[in-house]
Amino acid sequence: MPFAELAVVGAGPAGLSAVVTAARLGVKVVLIDEYIQPGGQYLKGEAFADTLSSPAERQGRALLRSLPSAGITTYWQTVVWHSEKNRLHLHRPQGPLTLDAATVIAATGARELALPFPGWTLPGVMTVGGIQVLVKAHRVLPGQKILLAGSGPLLLAAAYTLISHGLPPVAVLESSAPRQWMRFGPALGGQTGRMSEGWRYLQALRRARVPYRFRRAVVRALGSDHLEAVVTARLDSRGRPVSGSEETIPVDALGIGFGFIPNVDLTQLAGCTHRYAPALGGWVPLVNEHQATDVPGLFAAGECAGVAGAEAALLSGEAAAWGAACHLGRVDRQELAHHLTRLKQARQRQHRFAAVLNTLSSPPDPLLAALAVGDVPICRCEGVTAAAVRQAIDRGARTLDALKTATRVGQGLCQGRTCGPILARLVASQTGCPVEQAGFFRVRPPLKPVPLSTVAAEGVE
Amino acid sequence: MTRSADVVVIGGGIVGAACTYYLARAGVDVHLVERQFIASGTSRACDSLTLLWDKSPGPELILGRASTALWAGLVEELDEPFEYHRRGTVLLAEDEAGLEAGRQTAAAMQAQGIRAEPLAQADLLKLEPALSPDLAGGVFFPDDAQIDARRAALALVAAARRQGATVHQGAAVTGIRRRGEEIAGVTTQAGDFATHRVVCAAGVWSNSLARLVNLDLPIRPRKGHILVTARAPGFIHHPLLEGGYVSTVQTAAEGVQVALVAEQTPAGTILLGSSREFAGFDRSVSLTVVQAIARRALRFLPGLAQVPAIRSYAGLRPWSPDHLPLIGPVEAVPGFYLATGHEGSGISLAPVTGRLIADWIVNPNRVMPAAAAVRPDRFELRPRTDKPTNH
Ligand SMILES: Cc1cc2nc3c(=O)[nH]c(=O)nc-3n(C[C@H](O)[C@H](O)[C@H](O)COP(=O)(O)OP(=O)(O)OC[C@H]3O[C@@H](n4cnc5c(N)ncnc54)[C@H](O)[C@@H]3O)c2cc1C
Ligand SMILES: Cc1cc2nc3c(=O)[nH]c(=O)nc-3n(C[C@H](O)[C@H](O)[C@H](O)COP(=O)(O)OP(=O)(O)OC[C@H]3O[C@@H](n4cnc5c(N)ncnc54)[C@H](O)[C@@H]3O)c2cc1C
Repeated sequence: MPFAELAVVGAGPAGLSAVVTAARLGVKVVLIDEYIQPGGQYLKGEAFADTLSSPAERQGRALLRSLPSAGITTYWQTVVWHSEKNRLHLHRPQGPLTLDAATVIAATGARELALPFPGWTLPGVMTVGGIQVLVKAHRVLPGQKILLAGSGPLLLAAAYTLISHGLPPVAVLESSAPRQWMRFGPALGGQTGRMSEGWRYLQALRRARVPYRFRRAVVRALGSDHLEAVVTARLDSRGRPVSGSEETIPVDALGIGFGFIPNVDLTQLAGCTHRYAPALGGWVPLVNEHQATDVPGLFAAGECAGVAGAEAALLSGEAAAWGAACHLGRVDRQELAHHLTRLKQARQRQHRFAAVLNTLSSPPDPLLAALAVGDVPICRCEGVTAAAVRQAIDRGARTLDALKTATRVGQGLCQGRTCGPILARLVASQTGCPVEQAGFFRVRPPLKPVPLSTVAAEGVE
Repeated sequence: MTRSADVVVIGGGIVGAACTYYLARAGVDVHLVERQFIASGTSRACDSLTLLWDKSPGPELILGRASTALWAGLVEELDEPFEYHRRGTVLLAEDEAGLEAGRQTAAAMQAQGIRAEPLAQADLLKLEPALSPDLAGGVFFPDDAQIDARRAALALVAAARRQGATVHQGAAVTGIRRRGEEIAGVTTQAGDFATHRVVCAAGVWSNSLARLVNLDLPIRPRKGHILVTARAPGFIHHPLLEGGYVSTVQTAAEGVQVALVAEQTPAGTILLGSSREFAGFDRSVSLTVVQAIARRALRFLPGLAQVPAIRSYAGLRPWSPDHLPLIGPVEAVPGFYLATGHEGSGISLAPVTGRLIADWIVNPNRVMPAAAAVRPDRFELRPRTDKPTNH
C-alpha cells in the first residue's frame, strides 16, 4: 500500500501552495485531484494574455509550472471517496487504490450557490462560475445573449471574462443595493490591488456598454426546451421582487451566482468539529492558525476552510504545509510560529475582504422565499418541489435531516450538495429559526459516486 | 404546563406511529412524544420489506399475515401514499442444497395457504435477468410487499392527527412519574403530561425508558448496513434475498453476518444489504462491512460492477432474544405497555402491533390469541429492587 507523509486532496491554489511548500520542507507528498489536471477552480485552463492577471493568478501559475520538478507524486482524475483516520480510499479510472498518509490536508475548495426560481432547470441556465470555466478553460461560449445575475463581485469578474472574449453580457443584475457595498469601504482599506481590480472591471463594463443594475434579479426563466428569455424584477429594500416592475429580456444563456459554499465533506466524514460562519460562506471546520482541525494530523486549507478568494487560499495552503511539517517533526514549533507571524498580516487582510465578499454575495432570504414556491424543483436530483418542502416544514421538519426523511431531498446523485444550503435557508425563512439550526446533511461514504466494484475491492495495490 | 392524556406513546418510529394511529382510531385521546422528528430513528435507516416467508408457522406467521392484510388496507385508509408495492420477493439459492432448503420453505408456506413458486435456474433468470447465471434457482413469494417506512410513519401520524391525536416532536422523555406502582405522568423536554398509560415504542432506545420505571428489557441494538446505488431503472424487478438470510437472522453470533438483500426503490436506486452485528449504539458506517455487502451483491448481480454507489448508512434493529417482539402490558408496572423488539420485522409487524396495543388498552377481550406469544411478560419482567447508588 502506498504511503505518504502528507497527502493533499485538491490541487487548487491552496493544495498547490501546500504541496510545494511541504516538498521544500523535505516532506514526502502526494497530491490528488479528481479533475484531469491541476489548478482547481481558479487556474483551470490556460492563462490568456487578454485576461486580467492578478498577483494570485501569477503566483498560482508559477506553482503549476514548478510542480513537475518539485518531487511530488500526483494523481489526477482521482477521487477521494472515503477516509478513515489516516487512510484515504481513492478511485481512479484504472481502479481503486488505498493510500496511507501520516498527515492529510483537505484542500477541496468551495462550490457555487445558485438560488432556485421558476424555470431554473431549463438548459441554458448555469452558474456564473460554470460560464467562466466554459469560456476560460474550454473556450466555448455558452450562448450569444448572456445575462449574469446574482450578487457579489464574482459577477463582475465573469462579465469581464466574457467581455475579454468578445461577447459582452446583455446585462449584469446585482440583487444588493449600492448602499450595502459602501458599508464595506473600510474593510477594503489598504487593498489597493482589489480596488484597482474592481475598478478595471467596472471600466470594462462601461466601455462595452454593459448595463450593471443594482437591486434587480431574475424571477423566472422562459423557454420550452431551452432558455429563450428571462423575466427580471426590481427588488424592494428587503430583497423582495416588486410586482409591476417585471421586464422580459430575450437571452439564450443565464449565469446565476450567489457566492460560494465550502466543500466540507472530507472534514465532516473525518469527524472534525464544524461551526457555522456566514462570513466564511457557511459550515467550516474549526481550525487553528496553521489550519489544523481538531482531528490530529488533519488540516484544512483554502476555501473548504472558509471562502476567501484565491490569494487567501494560497496563504492558508502554505500555513497548513508548515503545520503538517511541524506535526511530522520536520520543523520545530518555533520555526512554525516564526513563519506564521510572517503570514499573519496578509492573512488578516484577506479575511476582512472575505467577510465582505461573503456578505455581499449571500442571497437575500426574502428573494429566496418569494421564488422558491409551488412546483419549482428544489432538489434537482430527486425532483422534490418547493411545495413539498414547505409542507414538510409546516408539519414540523426543522432540520435537513428531518426534511430528507419527510421528502426525498438530498438522496440523489449529488447527495444534497446543491440543495442543502438552499433548504437550510428555506427552513430559516419559513420558521424564523437561525440557519445553522437546520444543520447539514450527514456525510457517509462514498463522498462521490464510485462504481460498486471499487467499493467491493480490497483497495490494496 | 401539564397536559393530560389518556395515553402517551413514546417514540415516533414506524411502530409508535402505528400505535398512535390505531389508538386515535379507537377514539382514545393519544399524545405521541418523539425525541427528534417522525421516523428519526431506525425507521429511516432500513430496507422496506414486509416478508412472510421469514416467519415461523404459528403465532409469528399469524401476526405477520394479519399485519400484511392491515398494510394492504392502509393503502386505502391513509390518504397519503407510502410507496406500497406488492411485487413479491424472490429467495435466491446459490447451490442445490440452498435450493432444497428453499423448496422446504416454500412447502411450509404453501401448507399455511401462502403462495410460493419454486423456480428452476432458467425460470429464475427469466424473472430476473440480471442475476448471475450460475445460481441454482429460487422461490418466488408473490404476496410480499415493499413499503417506504418513513413515508408510512408520516402517513400514519398524519392520519392519526386527523382522528384527534396530538404529536409532539422535539419532545424527549426524561422521566416517567408514578403514584405507587401505577403510572401517573410523563416528563418531556416539551412539557409534562398527566396520564395513566404509557406505550413505550422507542425501538432500540426502549431500554433507557423502561429503566425509568425500574425495568430491564432484554433488547439490544443489532446494527445493519445498507449501500445505495445511483438510479438504475429496471435493473431488478423484485426484491431479492439470498436463502442464507434467515440463518443470519437466527444466529446468535456477535460478529458481522452478511447476506444479500437487494431491492429497488420507486426512484430507481437500489438498496443493497444486509448485515447484522452487535456493535452497541454506534451508527457510524464501517467500510469493511460495506465492502462485504458490495462483494455479496456482485456475487449475485455481477452487472452492478459499473453502477455507481452513492451512499451508505447504518441502522439499529431492536433485537430480542427469541426474535419475537415485546407487545402488550407489563404486569409489574400497571399502565406501562411495550411495543418494541421487532428486530428486522418492524415494518412488517407495525400495523398489527398498533392494533394489539389499541386492543390491550381499549378492549383486552378482543386481543387475538396469537398475541400471547409476544407478551413482554414471557421474559419475567420485574422491577429492579436495588436502590440506585449515589456516585
Ligand atoms: C468562476 C470563478 C471566478 C473566480 N474569480 C476569482 C477572482 O477573480 N479572484 C479571486 O481571488 N478568486 C476568484 N475565484 C475564487 C477562486 O477560484 C478560489 O478562491 C480558489 O480557487 C480557491 O482555491 P482552493 O484551492 O481552496 O479550491 P479550488 O480551486 O476549488 O480547488 C479544489 C480542488 O479540489 C478538488 N477536489 C474536491 N473534492 C475532491 C475529492 N473528494 N477528491 C479529489 N479531488 C477533490 C477539486 O477537483 C478542485 O480541483 C473565482 C472562482 C470561480 C469559480
Ligand atoms: C438495515 C436495516 C434493514 C431493515 N430492513 C427491514 C425490512 O426490510 N423490513 C422490516 O420489517 N424491518 C426492517 N428493519 C427493521 C426495522 O427498521 C425496525 O424494526 C423498525 O424500524 C423499528 O421501528 P421502531 O418504531 O420500533 O423504532 P425506531 O424507528 O427506532 O423509533 C423509535 C423512536 O423513539 C424515539 N425515542 C428514543 N428515545 C426517546 C425518548 N427518550 N423520548 C422520546 N422519543 C424517543 C427515537 O427518536 C425514534 O424515533 C431493518 C432494519 C435495519 C437496520
